[in-house]
Amino acid sequence: MNGLLAYISRRLGLTLLILLAVSFTVYLIFALLPYDPASLTCGKSCNDPGIIEANRHRLGYDKPFFEQYWIFIVGLFAGRDFGEGAAALHCAAPSFGYSFQQHACVTDLIFDALPVTLSLAIGSLILWLIVGVGLGIVAARFRGKIWDTLSTAFVLVGTSLPTFLTGLMLIVFLVIKLDWSPFPAGGYTAPDEDIVGWFLSMVLPWVTLAFAYAAIYTRFVRSQIIEISTEDYIRTARAKGLSDGIILGKHTMRAALAPIVTMAGLDFAGLLGGAILTEAVFNLPGMGRLSLNAVVDIDLPVIVGTTIFAAAIVVIMNAILDIVYAFIDPRVRV
Amino acid sequence: MLKGKKSLKVALATLSAAALAGGLLTGCAPANSGGTITYLTQSEAWTHADPQRNYTGMHIAWFGSYLQRTLTAYDRKPGAEGSAVVPDLATDTGKATNGNKTWQFTLRDGSTFEDGSAITCEDVKYGVSRTFATDVITDGPTYAIGMLDIPTDPATGASTYKGPYSTDAANDTASFDKAITCSADHKTITFNLKRAVGDFNYTVTYLSFSPVPKAKDTGDQYDLAPVSTGPYKIKSYKTNDSMVLVRNDKWNKSSDPLRADRAFPDKVVVKFGQAAEVIDQILLSDKDKTAVSLDSLLPTNLSAVFDDKGEVLAKYKGRAINVYDPYVRYAAVNVKKVNCLPVRQAIYYGKNFQSLITLAGGQAFNGDPADGVIKPLMGLDYAKTGLGTNDKDWKPEGNVEKAKALMAQAATECPELYARATDPKRGLVYDIADTETNKKASAIWIESMTAIGITMKFNFIEAGKYYSVVLDATKQGDLSAGGWAPDWANASTVIPELFTAEGGFPMSQNWDDAAYAEFKKRSDANLTQPDRVKQGKEWAALNKYAMDQMWVIPGTFSKTQEIWGSKIGGAFFWEPQGALSFGDLFIQK
Repeated sequence: MNGLLAYISRRLGLTLLILLAVSFTVYLIFALLPYDPASLTCGKSCNDPGIIEANRHRLGYDKPFFEQYWIFIVGLFAGRDFGEGAAALHCAAPSFGYSFQQHACVTDLIFDALPVTLSLAIGSLILWLIVGVGLGIVAARFRGKIWDTLSTAFVLVGTSLPTFLTGLMLIVFLVIKLDWSPFPAGGYTAPDEDIVGWFLSMVLPWVTLAFAYAAIYTRFVRSQIIEISTEDYIRTARAKGLSDGIILGKHTMRAALAPIVTMAGLDFAGLLGGAILTEAVFNLPGMGRLSLNAVVDIDLPVIVGTTIFAAAIVVIMNAILDIVYAFIDPRVRV
Repeated sequence: MLKGKKSLKVALATLSAAALAGGLLTGCAPANSGGTITYLTQSEAWTHADPQRNYTGMHIAWFGSYLQRTLTAYDRKPGAEGSAVVPDLATDTGKATNGNKTWQFTLRDGSTFEDGSAITCEDVKYGVSRTFATDVITDGPTYAIGMLDIPTDPATGASTYKGPYSTDAANDTASFDKAITCSADHKTITFNLKRAVGDFNYTVTYLSFSPVPKAKDTGDQYDLAPVSTGPYKIKSYKTNDSMVLVRNDKWNKSSDPLRADRAFPDKVVVKFGQAAEVIDQILLSDKDKTAVSLDSLLPTNLSAVFDDKGEVLAKYKGRAINVYDPYVRYAAVNVKKVNCLPVRQAIYYGKNFQSLITLAGGQAFNGDPADGVIKPLMGLDYAKTGLGTNDKDWKPEGNVEKAKALMAQAATECPELYARATDPKRGLVYDIADTETNKKASAIWIESMTAIGITMKFNFIEAGKYYSVVLDATKQGDLSAGGWAPDWANASTVIPELFTAEGGFPMSQNWDDAAYAEFKKRSDANLTQPDRVKQGKEWAALNKYAMDQMWVIPGTFSKTQEIWGSKIGGAFFWEPQGALSFGDLFIQK
C-alpha cells in the first residue's frame, strides 16, 4: 500500500510540474507572437498610441515577462483584478484572464463552454462505441460476406466524409428539407432548461461526430478480432468444441477490449478540447468554437486560457489512467 | 474593397424608393402584434450592445428599434422620408442658439428605464461622459469628444476630460460639466460646442447620446447587459449562443410616439454563430417563416433569388431586396508618397473596372462605377464629378492609351516617382486585406497596371488588423483599399472625415498636397454654413475638387442583398441606417 501511495504522490507531483511547464510554454509562445495585447484591447480599429499605452499600463503588459507570468499564476489561485476605479473588474480564482472582446472572465467562458462539449463528447462516444464496436464484430464474424462488405462501405464513407459536410448534409436534408423533422438546425439547449430540447439539439451533432469515429472503430475492432482469432488459445478453444459465440464473447473480445478502451479514452480526452467543426456547423457554443473564435479574433487571453485548460485535461487524464493502472497492475508502481 | 470603420448613414432615396414601389412594403398594422421574430447571423455576438459603443448603421437600427432611445432619431419611413430627423427622448429636434454652438433638448415626461426609474438629463449627460473613457468604451463614435467645448492637451491633442472612470486627479470634470449642463428640473440638457454645428440634432441620433443610469454602469461589461429605455428588454444574452428580448413592462408607450404603434412581436430572438450556408438554406426554403437574416446572402446563392439583372425572382417577391448600401468603395492614394497627379490619374484610367466587378459577382450585385466619395442618393450633397461613366476617356476595361499618355507626362513632371513606379524592383505598393477574393483582384490590378508601365506590388494585411495598419501613417503603402459611408445624411461626415488631417479616416494623407490649403479652408468654412442647400452644393464641389486631385481612385457605389421569411411583414430598407427597419417588422397572421 505504501508503494501505491508513494507512486500516486510521485505521479501527482510530476503532473503539477508538467502543468507548470505547459502553462509557462504557452504563456511564452503567446508573449512572442507578433501581436500587441494592449493594442488588441483598445478597440477594433484603435490606433491611438495614448490609449494603447494607457491600456498597457492598466492591464500590466508594461511589466517584465516573468512578472506578468507570475501575476498570471497567482491569479489562478487567488483571482485577479483588471483596471482601476469605477471600471475595475475582478475575475475570481482560478483566473485565466479577462477577455475584453467577450467582456467576460476567461474561466467563466470555459466553464460555460465545457458542458456543451461534454454533452457532445459523451453522447457521441457512446454512439460510436455501440456502432463502431458492433459493426466491427459483425464484420469480423462474417468476414468476406455481405455484412463485411457493407461495413467496409460504411468505413469508406465514414472516413472520407469530412464532419462539416456530414453535418451540413444532415441539416439541409433532415432539418430544412423535411418539415416534420423534430431536430433544430443548430444551437444548444441546456438540459436543466429543457431535457427534451437538449436531447433533440444533440442528436444530429452526436450522429455527425460518431459517424466519423464509428468508421475508424469499425475498422479497428474488425482487425483486432481477426488478429486475435489467429492466436493459439482461440484455436485451442475452438478445438475444444466451444461455440463461435462463446469464443467471441469470452475470449476474443476480452483481449480486444483493452486497446479499444485505451483508444476511446484518448479520443474522448481530445474531444474535450472541442470538436471544432461539429460545434461550428451545429452552432454549439462549446470549447472548440470558443478556441476557434479566439484564434480568429486574436483574443489572446482566451487562447492562452483554453490552450492551458485543454492541455491540463490531457495531463490530468493521463495521470488518472496511470494511477488506475497502478491499482490494477502492481508492476506499474515501480 | 473594404468597409470603412464608421457607420452606415446616408440618404439612398431614389433607388430604394423604386424598390419599395416594387412591392417591398408588406403593410403594417397594430393588429399584427404578437409572435416571435428570429434573427439569424453568422456573428458570434453583437459587435457591441453598449449604446456608447455601437457605431454601424445596422446595429444602431436594431438596438434603436428595440432597446435604446436617444434624443432624436430618424423617422421610420421608407425612401427619402426616412432620413428626416424626428424627436425621440426629446420633445423636439433641438433648439440651436449662439450661432449653432449651443444646442438644447428637453426630455419628454414619462420616459423611463426598464426598472421604472425616470430618465433625467443627468442620465443622458452620464451616457455622453462614457464616450470620453476611450480606454474602456472602445469602438464608439467620438463626435462628443470632437464637438463639445472641452480643452485638449496641446501636446497630444487628446481631451483633458477622460471620462467617468478615470481616477486621475487631473481629470478635467469641470470642463465637461460646463460643456453639458442640466436644468434644475432635470429635464433640459444643454450642449455647449467648441464650433458651430448646424446639424447637431443629426449627431444626437447616435446611441452614444443615449442615457445610461450611473448606478447600473458596469464599464466594459455594460456591453453584455445594457439597461433598456425602449419597448423591449434583454431577457438573456449569451455570446456564441443567443439574445432574447421580451416586452419591457415599464415602457411608457405615450412617451414614445416613434415606437408606440410599432413594437409588434412579443419576443425577439437573435441566434448567433449560424453557419452562413445554413442561414441561406433556412431562408431560401422558407423553413422558418418568421426568420430574418442579419447577413447578406452568399454570392453562390444570389442566382437562386435574383435574376441576372439583380431583380427579385417571382418566388421571392416581397421577401428579398437588392439595394444600394450606404458605402462607396475606393482605393485611397497616399498622396505623401504618390505626390504626382498624372500618376494618380494614370492609375484611374488604367484600372480594369470590368474585370474587378465581374470577379466580385457582377455589377447587378456589387454596384456601379463611382464618380466620387458621395453617393448620388445623398441628394443635396451630390453632383456629378465628371468621372466614371460621365468621363468620355474612362473605359470599364481600362483606357491604356490615355493612361500611357499620363505616364509620359509624369516622366517629365515627376521623374522621381515615375522612376519608382515603373521600376520592376520597386513599384507602387497596394495595401489590401488578405482574402481569397482580394488575392484574385490583385492579379487583375497587376495586369492592368503592367499594361500602362506601372509595377504594382501587393501588401496583404490580415483582415482583422487591416485598418489599424493602413491608418498608421508610418505603415501605409502607396494605395490602400477602403470604403466609407456617411454617418448621417450630410457630407460633413464624408469630405472632412476623408480628406482633412483632423478627419477620422484620412487614408489619403493629402495635407501636404499643394491643393490642400484651399480645400481645407473651404471645408472648414462649410462645416459652419447654416444654409443647408448652400452647404450641400459646396460639399458636391469639394467632392469634385478631391476627385480632380485624384486623392482616391473611385471604385463602386456598392449594393447589398437581404432576405427574410414569408411570414415577416413590414420590411423596408431604412435608408439612413442602411439596414432593414427592424422595429417595423411583424408576424403576418
